[in-house]
Amino acid sequence: MNSHLLSIIVAAPAIAALFVMLTPQTAKLAIRVWSLIGATISFAGSLVAIRSYDTALGGLQRVEDYPLVPSMGVHLKLAVDGWGGPLLVLTGVILFAGVLASWTVKTRDREFFVLLLVLTAGVFGVFVSQDLLVFFLFYEIAVLPMYVLIGIWGSSHKVPPKGPFKFVWKLFDIGGKQYAAMKLTLMLLVGSAAIMAALFVMYLKAGGTTFDLGVLGATKYDRQTQIVVFPLVWLGFGTLAGVFPFHTWSPDGHASAPTAVSMLHAGVLMKLGAFGVMRIGMVILPEGARFWVPVVGAVAAINVLYGAFAAMSQTDLKYIIAYSSVSHMGIVMLGAATLTPAGWNGAVFQMVAHGIMTGLFFALVGLVYERAHTRAILKMGGFANVMPAVAAFFTLGCLSSLGLPGTAGFVSEFMVFLGAWKSGHYLWAIPGVLGAFVTAIYVLRATRTIFWGEGPSHDFHELSDPKKTEWGALVILGAGLVILGFWPRLILDYIEPGSVEHLGKVLAPVATLARLP
Amino acid sequence: MTPPVLYALVALWTPAIAALLLAILYPLRKKGQPAAVVAILGSLVSLGAAITLFTDRLHDDATHRLVVPWIGSGASTIAEVGVHVDGVSASMLVVVTLVATCVQVFSIGYMHDEPPEAYGRYFTYHALFLFSMNLLVVAPNILQLFAGWELVGVTSYLLIGFYFKKPSAARAAVKAFWVTKFADMGLLFGLLVLFAASGTFGWEPTLSPPVATAVTLLFFLAVVGKSAQFPLHVWLPDAMEGPTPVSALLHAATMVAAGVFLVVRANPLFEQAPITRSIMLGLGAATALFAALLALVQTDIKKTLAYSTCSQLGYMVAALGAGSMLGGFFHLTTHAFFKALLFLAAGSAIHAVHSNEITDMGGLAKRMPLTATAFSVGALALAGVPGLSGFFSKDLVLESVEGKLGNVPYAVLMLTAFLTAFYMGKVVFVAFFGKPSGEKAAHAHESGPSMSGPLVVLMVPTVVAGYFGATFAKVQGEPYHFAFGAGPATASALGLAGIGLAYAVYGRGPRAAVPAPIAMIDRVAKTRAVNRVYEWGFRNVTLVLADGLAFIDRYVVDGLINLLGWGAIEGGRKLRPIQTGLAPDYVLAVVLGVVGLAVWAVFGSWR
Repeated sequence: MNSHLLSIIVAAPAIAALFVMLTPQTAKLAIRVWSLIGATISFAGSLVAIRSYDTALGGLQRVEDYPLVPSMGVHLKLAVDGWGGPLLVLTGVILFAGVLASWTVKTRDREFFVLLLVLTAGVFGVFVSQDLLVFFLFYEIAVLPMYVLIGIWGSSHKVPPKGPFKFVWKLFDIGGKQYAAMKLTLMLLVGSAAIMAALFVMYLKAGGTTFDLGVLGATKYDRQTQIVVFPLVWLGFGTLAGVFPFHTWSPDGHASAPTAVSMLHAGVLMKLGAFGVMRIGMVILPEGARFWVPVVGAVAAINVLYGAFAAMSQTDLKYIIAYSSVSHMGIVMLGAATLTPAGWNGAVFQMVAHGIMTGLFFALVGLVYERAHTRAILKMGGFANVMPAVAAFFTLGCLSSLGLPGTAGFVSEFMVFLGAWKSGHYLWAIPGVLGAFVTAIYVLRATRTIFWGEGPSHDFHELSDPKKTEWGALVILGAGLVILGFWPRLILDYIEPGSVEHLGKVLAPVATLARLP
Repeated sequence: MTPPVLYALVALWTPAIAALLLAILYPLRKKGQPAAVVAILGSLVSLGAAITLFTDRLHDDATHRLVVPWIGSGASTIAEVGVHVDGVSASMLVVVTLVATCVQVFSIGYMHDEPPEAYGRYFTYHALFLFSMNLLVVAPNILQLFAGWELVGVTSYLLIGFYFKKPSAARAAVKAFWVTKFADMGLLFGLLVLFAASGTFGWEPTLSPPVATAVTLLFFLAVVGKSAQFPLHVWLPDAMEGPTPVSALLHAATMVAAGVFLVVRANPLFEQAPITRSIMLGLGAATALFAALLALVQTDIKKTLAYSTCSQLGYMVAALGAGSMLGGFFHLTTHAFFKALLFLAAGSAIHAVHSNEITDMGGLAKRMPLTATAFSVGALALAGVPGLSGFFSKDLVLESVEGKLGNVPYAVLMLTAFLTAFYMGKVVFVAFFGKPSGEKAAHAHESGPSMSGPLVVLMVPTVVAGYFGATFAKVQGEPYHFAFGAGPATASALGLAGIGLAYAVYGRGPRAAVPAPIAMIDRVAKTRAVNRVYEWGFRNVTLVLADGLAFIDRYVVDGLINLLGWGAIEGGRKLRPIQTGLAPDYVLAVVLGVVGLAVWAVFGSWR
C-alpha cells in the first residue's frame, strides 16, 4: 500500500472522475462528493508523501517503476524529491479548495468535475514523473482540458472595451471565451511543440535508449546542442509560466475561465511551466542554462515590472489578478535564473506561495462575481459593509502579494532578491523590489475601490459573505499563507535539499572549467 | 533560556495570542466588550513582563539572546528570529507596552458608540499592532526588525482606514501605506547590501566606509518614510483620519518612532558612516523647523499635534545625526509619554464637542478640568518648560547638536523650541480657555473613568520621567550628565517667551484678524506644494506608464499574436480556391507534378 502512494495520488482524481462519469447527471450531491473524495485522497496522500520524505537522505524516494514501452525505454517511473513534495501538497490544496469553490457550478456540472479531476491527475503526474516522455504526457493531460473548460464554462465580455481601438476587440472577439480558450490552447501547444523537439534531441543524443530523467541529467551533451536546445525548453515551458512576451494567453484565459479553473490554472498549472524550465531545462542542460541565464533573468525582471504596471491599468477584477500572476511568475523565473541556492529555494517557495495566494484570489473573485454579476471594479464600492469576511481574505491575499513579512509572499521574494543580489545581478533585484512596491499600489487601490467607501449601491443586492463550502476553500488557503509566512521551514526544509542537489548538477562543471587554464 | 529571555517572549507573544484569538473566534469579536477585555489582558501581561524585564536591567547589563532559524535551516540558514534583550530593547518595550495599555483602556470609552463588530475589530487590530511593535523592538537582527516594521505599517493602514466608509479615511490609509512602503524599499535594499557585504543581518559588522555609507543611507530612507521626515512627511497629517487613540499610539508615540528606534538599534552601523549622520542632522533640523511652521497655521487640534510629532521626530533624528544615541532615544521616550497624553486629552475634548477644530471648543477648562490639566501638562512638557520631562530630553538633544555643522542646526532647533511653545500655547488658550464657542462646547463634560484614568497615569511619566535620565542612561550603558547651563537656560527662556507671546495673541480666544506672518505661512501651506508634486507624479508618471504598458500589451505584444492567428486564417482562405473539386484540375496538377519530377531527375544534379 505504502509503496504505491504516488500512484494512488496520481490515480485518485482520475478514478474519481470515472465514478463521477458513471453518476447520473441528476445526482448533484453524489457528483460533488465523489470529486471531493478523490481530492481528499490525493491531498492526504500528498501530505503523507511529504511527511515521510527523509530530508537527511535526499534524492528520489518512494520510487515506483513500471515499464511502459520497453522497446523505446519508456518507463512509468514515479518518485518524489525535495521539490516534488511541496508541489504535490500545493496541488492537493488547490484541488481540494477548487472542488469546494465549484460547489455551485450549475451548467453541465458532471462534465465540469470530470475534466477538473482529469486535469489535476495530470498535474500530480508531472510533479512525480521521473521519465521525460511520461512527464510530457502528463503535462499535455494537464493542459488540454483547459480548452473545453474555458470554452464551455467560461464567461465573456464582462468589461466593455473603451478607446479608439474598440474595433480590434470586435474583430478578434477579444474578451470572448472562445477567443480566450483558442488563444490559450494554441499558444501552449506551440510551446509543447518546442518542448517535444527538445525532448527528442535530448533522447537521441543520449543514445536513444531511455527517457529516464536521472540518466539524461547525467549525460554530458555537447555545448552546441545545449545552447541550441535550452531556449526551446525555456520558451516551450516558459509559455505556460507566462514568460514575456508569450504571456498574453494568461490575462484573457484566466479572465474567461470559471473560478476553479482559474484557481488551478494560475495556482498550479503555471508552476508546471516554471518547474519544467528548472527541472528539465536547467538540470539536464546545465551549460545551455548557464549560457542563457542572463537572458532568462532579464526577461523575468521585465515580467515582474511589466506585469505589475499592466495590472495597475486594468478595470476588470479578473484581469488585475491575471496580470499579477504574470508579475509574480516573473519572481519564480528570476529566482531560477540566479542559479544560487537562495534563488532556487525562493523560486520553488514562490511557486507554492503564489499558488496558494492566486488560488485564494480567484476563489474570492469568483465569489464576488457570482454575487455581483460584474467584474468591473469601478462599478463596485463599499462591499466590505456586506461581505466583511471576503474583504478580510482579499486584504490578506493583497498583503501576501506585496510581500508582507509574516505571509508566504515575503519569504520567497526575499530569498529571490537575495539570490539575485548575491549572484551579482544587482540589476535584477532592483526591478524585483520595485515590482513589489508597484504591486502595493495596485492591489491596495483595487481593495479600496471594491471594498471600502459607502455602499454597496442598489445594483448589488445579492452580496453576502461566503456560504458553507466556500468558507472551507478560503480558510484553508488563507491559513496556508499565514502559516508558511511565519514558519517557512515547514516546506523549506524539503525544498532545500532538492535545490542543493539539482543546483549541484547545474553548477558542477563550473568547478572543472575554472581549473582549466 | 534565561529569565530575561522568558520575559521578553511573554511580552512578545501574549498580544499575539490575543490577536489570534480575536481573529479566529468570530463570536468573541462580534460581542465587542469581551474583545476589549481580551486585548487589554494581553497588553497588561505584556506590560508586566516588560516592567519586570526593565527592573532586571538595573542590576544586570549582560545581553540575553535566543534565536531560532527562520528562513532555511542548518548550514543554509539565511535568517534567524528570536529575542534580543539589552538596555535598548528593554526600555523601548516598557514605553510601547505602557502607552499601548493606556491607549487601549482609553479606547473602551472613546469607541463606546461603535457597533460591537467594529469595536471588536478595533481591538483585534490593536492586539496585532502591539505584537508587531514588540516584534520590532526585541528583534535580534535587522531582518526581524524589518518584519515588525512592515507589520506595524499594515496595522497602521488598517487603523487609519478603520472608518473605511469615509472616502477621506480610505484615501489616507492607502496613502500612508504607499509612502512608507516606498521608503521601506530602502530598508530592503539596505538589508541586501548588508547581507552581501557581511553575511549577516545584524547591526554589529564592521563594513568598509563606502558600504557602511550606502547601507545606512538606504536605512535612512526608510527612517524618513516611517518617522515622517521631510519630504516624505505627507502621510502623517492625513493619518489623523484614524480614531484619536490610534493617532496617540501609532502616529505619535510608538510606530512613527520606529524609524528613530532603527537608528538607535543600528547605532554601531551608523557610527561608521559620518556622511549619513551629517545628512540626518541637517534633514532632522530642517524637518523640525518646517513642521513647526506648518503646525502654526493648523486649526485642527489633531493636525497641530501631527505636525508637532513630525517636528519632534526631527529633533530625535538630528540628535542621532549628531552622534548622540542617548539624546535621540531619551527624547523618543519622553515624547512618547507626553505626546500620547496630549493626543488622549485631545481625544477626550473631541469626544465631548464632536469636532476636531479648536475654534469649535473654547472654555473647556471649566467643564473638563482633568482633560484641560492633562493637555496643559503635556503642552508644557512639549514646550520644554523646566522641570517637566520634555525639558530634560530636549536639552540633551540641543547639547548634542551644539557646535555641529556651523551651529546652524543648533540655531534652527532653538528657534523651533520657541515656535513649539507658541503653537502649543495657541491650542491651549483657544481650546481650553476663553469663552465656549458654541452649544456643544458649553455643555461639554468629562467622560468616564476609562478615559480619565489613562490621562492620570500618563501624566506621571510626563512630569517625572526627566529625573530618571541617569537611570535611563545607565540601562543603555551610556554616560549621562546634566547641568543647568547657558543652553538649557536659553531653551527654556525661549519656551516661556513662546507661551507668553501665544497668550498675548490668543489669550482671549481665537482672533478675527490672523497675525501677518502666520497668514503668510498659511497661504504657503494651503498650496499643498509637496503633496501636489506627488499627486502630479502619480497621475502623470505612474498611471501613464501603467496605461502605456497595458496598451502595448494589448495592441503590440498581443497584437502580434493576433496577427499570426489572422494570417493563418486569411492564408487558409486565400489558398482555399486551389481546392476546386474539379477532376481536370487535379489531373493537371498530377501531370505538372510528374513533369516537374522528371525535369528534376534529369537536370536535378546541378550541384
